[in-house]
Amino acid sequence: MADEAATVAPHASIPSGDNSVWADVSPLLQAASQDLQEGELIHGDNFNLFAAMSALEIMDPKMDSGMVCTYYSLDEAIENGAAPVPISEDKTIDVRCTIDIMDHLLACEATWHKGHSLAQTVYACLYLLRPERTSSHALLHSYCKVIRATCNAILSVVSDARTHEEEDLFTMAYGLPLCGDGDEKCLSLLNAVEETISRQLRACKASSSKRRVSEDIEPLQDNSDLEEGYCRALLCRLRFRKHFYHLLMSMKRPQGRGLELARKHIASCISEIDHIQKSSEFLRTSAYGMCDQNIDTTASGCQPIGFDASLNCRLSAPTPPRSIKILCWEKALEYFIKLLQDLDIVCSYSLDPSLEAALHFVVKFQKSQPDLVSRAHLQLLLVQDGKLYGRDSMLSMITRAAGLPEVTENHDIEKNEFMMQLGQLVINLLKILCTNTAWQRRKLGKMLQDWRVIYVQLEMAFKKKFEEASTTSNTKKICFKIYQHILAWVEEKTYWIAFRFLSLGFELELYSFHDYCMVYWYIYVVLIKLAEKKHLRMAMSSDAAKKKAKKKKDSLKDAEMDHHIPAAVLFLQSQIYLAEGLSMMFAAMRNEHRIVPLQSPFNTEHEIFIQQFELLQKACVPDHISYVTFKESTSHANLSTLAICDYFKEAQRIAKEVKSSFANDSDTMAELRGVEQVAERNSIALNVCRVGALDPKLKISFAFSHHPFFATAIVKRS
Amino acid sequence: MAEEEAKEGVGVNSEGSDSVSRVKKLLFRRMLVGIKDGRFFLGSFYCIDKQGNIILQDTVEYRSTRQSSPSPMEQRCLGLILIPSSCRTSCHVDSSIDEQFSLLSLQRTSPR
Repeated sequence: MADEAATVAPHASIPSGDNSVWADVSPLLQAASQDLQEGELIHGDNFNLFAAMSALEIMDPKMDSGMVCTYYSLDEAIENGAAPVPISEDKTIDVRCTIDIMDHLLACEATWHKGHSLAQTVYACLYLLRPERTSSHALLHSYCKVIRATCNAILSVVSDARTHEEEDLFTMAYGLPLCGDGDEKCLSLLNAVEETISRQLRACKASSSKRRVSEDIEPLQDNSDLEEGYCRALLCRLRFRKHFYHLLMSMKRPQGRGLELARKHIASCISEIDHIQKSSEFLRTSAYGMCDQNIDTTASGCQPIGFDASLNCRLSAPTPPRSIKILCWEKALEYFIKLLQDLDIVCSYSLDPSLEAALHFVVKFQKSQPDLVSRAHLQLLLVQDGKLYGRDSMLSMITRAAGLPEVTENHDIEKNEFMMQLGQLVINLLKILCTNTAWQRRKLGKMLQDWRVIYVQLEMAFKKKFEEASTTSNTKKICFKIYQHILAWVEEKTYWIAFRFLSLGFELELYSFHDYCMVYWYIYVVLIKLAEKKHLRMAMSSDAAKKKAKKKKDSLKDAEMDHHIPAAVLFLQSQIYLAEGLSMMFAAMRNEHRIVPLQSPFNTEHEIFIQQFELLQKACVPDHISYVTFKESTSHANLSTLAICDYFKEAQRIAKEVKSSFANDSDTMAELRGVEQVAERNSIALNVCRVGALDPKLKISFAFSHHPFFATAIVKRS
Repeated sequence: MAEEEAKEGVGVNSEGSDSVSRVKKLLFRRMLVGIKDGRFFLGSFYCIDKQGNIILQDTVEYRSTRQSSPSPMEQRCLGLILIPSSCRTSCHVDSSIDEQFSLLSLQRTSPR
């Protein structure tokens, strides 16, 4: 056995030392192995087990990129006929195989969008790696061209938006031929091919209905029974690509000018996907018996020709060595439908010139869990050239959001350095809101400190201004107003960010059941601040508006108006009661030993508090809030205190009351309904608990069945 | 801790074994290991366990650029690698001719 191996060794090409030879030690090693005890190692004095653990394991598909694959180089693969042009001399087989390639490329493209590298997905196609080789095959050539152009367009959108930090494999395209010669003209070639095939389709329909056969048109392939099916299958695939490329180009137009057109292409894409799905049956039956048909990335089930994912591992350095699983064809189509639907939501946005509307839109858009590509498109639409939608300057958007009176439009507020910084901060906020939830949460948390710093800086700058302008009383007034409005708005946004930071933790499942008490408590203190600031700002804005119309109205009515709390604040109020109620409920259950506190050897409750809210605490959001205040406010909670129940009742009452103000706002209505339901159920659950306080069989659990982050209590008798 | 145990292990349990002490003498020598897919690894012998898995240091990988012709050899540096015994097909050390005979003689006398 050992001798055989020795004869295989290429001693000639790998030199041993001078005056020495390669001596076979396999038998010796085997003998030693037998003598060794289990778990025993032979090693030198400098051996370090920790270092040994980091050794690269040969033949492990996840670590060893050098594993010998089918082909050693692209040239060798092509010489061996791995990617022939034409694919087959038989035209019917050639068409069938071309469709398989198209299908597999679509599956690869979806897999790429989902976060894998381009080199292992789309560019596993050998035809794409040598763009010039396909030029004699119009159908394949045009398809490859449009694929390259599409990948290039999407790559630039994602890298421009930089929403991909977590999915950094996405934009890695080093060494791949992304731009072939004349790819920018891909559509004209695609149109020509589409035109030819639709003529062939018409011709075959004419001949089948025994009408005059048009002699001048050569059929797509030789089997007349399959002609119509193949023509149709190809047409929907080509048209999908055409509309998809058009869609990307329209979305790229500045200031959202192409959105309307983009929506038309989205509709066309979705209808072509429907045709593609329907072509599957024909393709499966026509390929029956011609191949194994156990491949899931093509409609026909046949193995596509011309793909080798392992080749790029050897060719381009940044290709990750691990092998990946390409999405199946059905899943790929599902992905594209979802992508198109998400892009349609982006395109249907009204580009409302209001910062609040834009923020609200992104948050709502994120609820459908859109993927990277659509998020990147949204971000590029929102922020272009440092302006909202590339149209409205950030500063004017901020002053409008802050509800500043019209007089300030000509004021030199724009020259203020800190206002410029605030503008940049808002741009960053918009960008961060477009990233994936995990990344978003971390960035939002870190951003809080910047918002606090800018608040202090603005406050100082405005104070200085205020002193300077003390000469004339009119400018003094205006300065004071600006100062108040902007600062109130900055604070409101800071708490809004903190609230989103906390609620995203539920979506990411970062809180354990034992942390709920402190999380709801923190949500409660943040919401109180948010409501307070919002109320303040709204009162100031309505004040300013009222002063304009003051001459007409009598002052008595004005005083009455002041006591009216705006609906948006009431909505927050209902959430405040709900959060407080939940926090107290958890605290009461803990205090009465209904929840066994987690006895972790690693973290005390105090440490967990710091870990969960470190970023908020660092930014002092809100001020004077610490673990001690949390402990003080929750240590006396108990189930028998009726007050707890009132939190939920109050939340329910306010939610019900405020509904009428949001009749036209379906999202807020849904949100309110959720709050109302959670409050109602928790109120009942709490009553049951209180009545059966001594019943040890009563088990309380929590679920997020009515609201994404306000838990609903479920009481069961076990 | 595991490291300490392993160190002790060699000394205590297999002290009597002739082959184990011979293998110990091979440590840090240049070793050429061939594996199933046709590649060769040349590195300094660092460690071996009971199962025959070998760790090499400062390793260079050799492979053919084409399947049809075994040479010219392409090479790249890999550093510290673990070669599982399951994929190992050959194993040689760089040795003088005299030493090769002594290794061969051991091959005959070693218990199978």
